[in-house]
Amino acid sequence: MPTPPRRAQQFLRWFCKPELLPEIEGDLQELFHQWVQAHGIRKARWLYVLNVITFLKPYFFKRQNIQYTSLNSQAMVSNYVKVSYRNLFRHKVFSFINVVGLSIGLACCMLIVLYTKDEVSFDRFHEKKEQIFRVTATMSSENGTNRIGSTNVVVGPSFAEEIPEVATYVRMETTPYILRHGTDTFNEDVLSVDHDFFSVFSFPLIAGDPTQVLSNLNDMVLTEESAEKYFGTTDVVGKTLELQFNDQFETFVITGVAKNPPQNSSIQFKIIIPFLFARQQYLDTSWIGFYVHTYVMLHPDADYKAVEPKLDQVFLSKAEEELKSMKEKFDFKEKVHFGLQPFQQIHLDTEFGDFRNGLTYGSNPIYSYILSGIALFILVIACINFINLTIAHSLRRGKEIGIRKVIGGQRKQLIAQFLGESMVLSFLAFVAAILIVQLVLPYFNELANKRLSFSYLLDAKLMAGYLALFLITGFTAGFYPALVLSGFDPVRTLYNRHQMAGKNYLAKGLVVFQFALATFLIIGTVGIYAQFTLLTQADLGYSDENLAVVHLGRGRHDTEIEALKNELANKPSIEMAATKDFGQNYTIAKVNNKEKELGFAISWIDENFLPALQIPIVQGRNFSQDFPSDATQSVIINETFAREAGWGPSSGKEAVGQVIDFFDQQLTVVGVVKDYHFTSLKEKIGPLLFKKGTGDLWVKIKPDQLPQAMAAIQKAYEQVIPFRPFAYDFMDTINERNYEAEAKWKQMITIGAILSVFISCMGLFGLAMLSIQRRTKEIGIRKVLGAAVSDIVFLLSNDFLKLVALSLLVAIPLGYFAINRWLENFAYRIELAWWIFTLAGTIAVLMAFITVSFQSVKAAVANPVDSLRNE
Amino acid sequence: MKGTYIGEFQELVMLAVGVLYDDAYGVAIQEEIKKQTGRKVTLSTVHAALNRLEDKGFLTSRLGGATEERGGRPKRLFRITAYGRQTLEKSRSMRNRLWQLIPKVAWDQM
Repeated sequence: MPTPPRRAQQFLRWFCKPELLPEIEGDLQELFHQWVQAHGIRKARWLYVLNVITFLKPYFFKRQNIQYTSLNSQAMVSNYVKVSYRNLFRHKVFSFINVVGLSIGLACCMLIVLYTKDEVSFDRFHEKKEQIFRVTATMSSENGTNRIGSTNVVVGPSFAEEIPEVATYVRMETTPYILRHGTDTFNEDVLSVDHDFFSVFSFPLIAGDPTQVLSNLNDMVLTEESAEKYFGTTDVVGKTLELQFNDQFETFVITGVAKNPPQNSSIQFKIIIPFLFARQQYLDTSWIGFYVHTYVMLHPDADYKAVEPKLDQVFLSKAEEELKSMKEKFDFKEKVHFGLQPFQQIHLDTEFGDFRNGLTYGSNPIYSYILSGIALFILVIACINFINLTIAHSLRRGKEIGIRKVIGGQRKQLIAQFLGESMVLSFLAFVAAILIVQLVLPYFNELANKRLSFSYLLDAKLMAGYLALFLITGFTAGFYPALVLSGFDPVRTLYNRHQMAGKNYLAKGLVVFQFALATFLIIGTVGIYAQFTLLTQADLGYSDENLAVVHLGRGRHDTEIEALKNELANKPSIEMAATKDFGQNYTIAKVNNKEKELGFAISWIDENFLPALQIPIVQGRNFSQDFPSDATQSVIINETFAREAGWGPSSGKEAVGQVIDFFDQQLTVVGVVKDYHFTSLKEKIGPLLFKKGTGDLWVKIKPDQLPQAMAAIQKAYEQVIPFRPFAYDFMDTINERNYEAEAKWKQMITIGAILSVFISCMGLFGLAMLSIQRRTKEIGIRKVLGAAVSDIVFLLSNDFLKLVALSLLVAIPLGYFAINRWLENFAYRIELAWWIFTLAGTIAVLMAFITVSFQSVKAAVANPVDSLRNE
Repeated sequence: MKGTYIGEFQELVMLAVGVLYDDAYGVAIQEEIKKQTGRKVTLSTVHAALNRLEDKGFLTSRLGGATEERGGRPKRLFRITAYGRQTLEKSRSMRNRLWQLIPKVAWDQM
């Protein structure tokens, strides 16, 4: 049968009033058939089109304000709104579970979006960011490769001179100085930079000319913050501050004030002085030295990949002599290669590390991944709650759906209705989530070591991201239920009591998935707690209690230490005063008649150090005033040193008396101490060697005498070193600081686990409630027939507990794998014992059981009369 | 009053509706007009007229049978209302009166 042209029909439908359409279309169709018979199809179609065009009269046009169409759909939509509103409020528990779960999940994701946005925004504010590179060095030998982010003084000027693409260079070095303002002294880390600093990096100055502020050796630039700190105003150009240099104070004139570096800047500074100030006296011309950071700025059109090979060419030609003599003197065999690292990558690419000299710590992207993973877990769990509860709950809406379908509701409309409802719910959750984010942001900042806030990260992209998050959540949570609910067969829902079809594997699968995620996080938490306890409470091999470390700065401080020890000798609150050099240093020496080379840690101590730390001496003796030769020729080693040198207990050789060739010195071993953890427990105890020397002041304080002791120490300190600010630490806090990263992991995983268990249990609670409500009659009958309360509780909890048990099977292997990987970072680690998994599993099952019990016990103790009496 | 006035074409349409009595819908009316007057009118003109007449209350309509050749769409069947009839009669009597007022001599002069 021939049909009229479709386009013309569509056109007619588009413009014509709908109430006139049927008759017009009918008439046209009738005519069309006549035309077909009279003139043939082609002409008929043509006539049809012409006739449609003649209907283009204002009379037939649709009117916007005409009421016939919109009245109906308005009513329909307002009915949707009304029904969803009623549903929301009639079933408060479900709405609550859904909104709370989703809002927690959304809030977590929002925080992560903020976090990630901050991470990727690092260092993007520099105008010339594309042109700035850090010079890196890679040292390789058969022992492995060492990647270094710092270089030396000669690298920058040499490259700028020899390589045309290098426009300029900036060297940076942080030095701790004692700063004097009037008569007050302060410890300050001062950043020394080359004069192009403010032209290369976009740190705006509020006073001073960027190209001129560092042109004289005694110029100084402060940030607004430090200007406020020292002068109470930012109008400080021309004022002076003093820095201690070579035992005397040098005056600096403030030539500029910079805005505080933004928080998403890798380079942070408070006080800036010219690089050449400290370096003018001793210009180090060595190429093999890695202690300052060098940044080069290339010309805008230069390709840094093409520039990189030229660095090594310059290095090899200029450092030829030096390399030769190094090889002769020290048997230096390593290959050195210089490279360029794009400045913007420094924050997230920690391969070259070396976060010092003004460079703040980069972030290991793994934290971003872990945090994102946890946040996504939580959101997924919340979405699963939504899906499961909506579907389980839909029984109650079967009749509504049936009626809607019978009176002509199309599936599309139903899907739109249910999706709309889930959008409304997720919108509520979205609003709640924003409030939550505002509320918890301070805590999150502490956890993530950030200073995030909406204010500086809020822009169109972030808004779009959040909007997308909202839409995706609403859609994910609502789509499947909408599909299932709209697919109900109206006949079945209306004729008999509608039963959920099949065994509902999806809901069960989702519950298993949910609990597997939650249990996985619990396993992580338990494992991390166990390891953390091991780290912080392990026997270190010495006592770090009541041990204060007073900082005197790098290097030897023989006279100061001598005076301090004298001052403190007779104080009743102090047990002992000792000394050890600052930090931990490493070096190499030869043993056994220069047969064997050994790398080891070296510390300079006095005779009080080992007793103060209660480190037992297993062979030989401690340093002593009675042996004057101790000061230059004697060393004490630890057991590991002895073992690695071949003087261990099994070798039959006596360690005491052995000679160590340390560069041009010959050192004799006088004692061996028991191994102790002089670094963090992440590392194995390595060989360690003590020489006599001085450094920081270490004071063992008598128990419960802390305030008196600290007062005494400070008094002595101010007498001996009046110009230096008093700064100290306690050894146990220093030790704790080693595990800051682990403490962060612990917090993150714990919070993640708590939230995911909480949300999973909320979902389970809702499911249990629904399933038990459906079975009230059954429970009543069982009770009437004599079932005990315990039987019924078991019966009702059983279904859910089975699912949780199944989830353990999934979670335990995954958890085992993940924990194992994490523990590989530690030299000393917990055994992955069965109890970790048992504990985690028990927690999961117990939480689930308690959750379900709320409902099942209530149902089991209810009077059967109530459930059976009314239909 | 605007409603009482009907144009020549509208009168024609109404008369056709009357002629067709129980089968007065768009296409039939169009054909009837063609048959009786030889005037070719487009369907849209007929529809516009029918709808305006209904709006004025001269015609009433109901939905009639849907046939396959109409693609399952119903016919809208029109009938003249009492008011419509009154208007038609008024128009006819006015015409008649005017006819009668024409003096015979006017014809003779032709």
